[in-house]
Amino acid sequence: MNKEQFLKSLDEGIKRLPEEEREDIIRDFHEHFQIGLEEGKTEEEIAQSLGSPKQIAKELVATYHVEKVSEKTTISNILRATWAVIGLGFFNLTIVLGPFLGLVGLVVAGWLTGFSFVVSPVFVLLNAVIEPATFHLLQMFLSIALCGFGLLLVIGMYYVTRAFIKLFIRYLHYNVNLVKGGMKDE
Amino acid sequence: MNTQFKKGVLELCVLALLNGRDRYGYELVQKISTQIEISEGSVYPLLRRLNKEGFLSTYLQESTEGPPRKYYRLTDQGKSHFVELYREWQQFSEGVEQILKEGVRDE
Repeated sequence: MNKEQFLKSLDEGIKRLPEEEREDIIRDFHEHFQIGLEEGKTEEEIAQSLGSPKQIAKELVATYHVEKVSEKTTISNILRATWAVIGLGFFNLTIVLGPFLGLVGLVVAGWLTGFSFVVSPVFVLLNAVIEPATFHLLQMFLSIALCGFGLLLVIGMYYVTRAFIKLFIRYLHYNVNLVKGGMKDE
Repeated sequence: MNTQFKKGVLELCVLALLNGRDRYGYELVQKISTQIEISEGSVYPLLRRLNKEGFLSTYLQESTEGPPRKYYRLTDQGKSHFVELYREWQQFSEGVEQILKEGVRDE
């Protein structure tokens, strides 16, 4: 592989990164080739020692997205970072996916329960309007108590969700820091 | 050697090399690859990460032989990060060394 092929393949791999980022990366590798050539190496030798441009591109993309998610935590940022890390072939899906989905399920269930508790007095009132005969005051009190409990649960879930997302981002970081890609004796 | 292990150590090596003085990318890569067998290209993603995390800063400097080169400098934050990693590494390697010695002696 010569310099042009290497840079082309690298650029192809990072084409989804912002223009500025891409140019900077290509400039770094351009400089690397330049100095290598000055030292009398051939383009092929330099490319050979650098390793697979596709793998380097994957590492760069994953690094970019994981840093981004640490700056600004949005759902789409998290998804992009997760996807990029999966692209590294480093997520051990069989081991990670089960517990991960389990935790997501728990978080979702917590939110749903909290919300349904909070709105329960509304349903009791609705019921009283539609079928006044079945209305019990005790029902009303119970649902108000439930509403209070639901509010606490929702507040609790807010913190649980935040902690969960933080933990997940740390896990993504851990993966990027330990990328096995590009190492020779893989 | 185990690849994950090497990757972690790569960061320590880059920080150590920059602790003495500022260096450009090619120089860093050569310094490391003469001692440890790595795919040289993987140093660049690492440099970008350390830069984004605030451990390194970069600047361009003219060179006598050609176009300006990008130099990497350790920030104060990077220095303390290095000291911390270095300490961890020392504890780790002393521990391993001790166990290895005992293992050889018991043989």
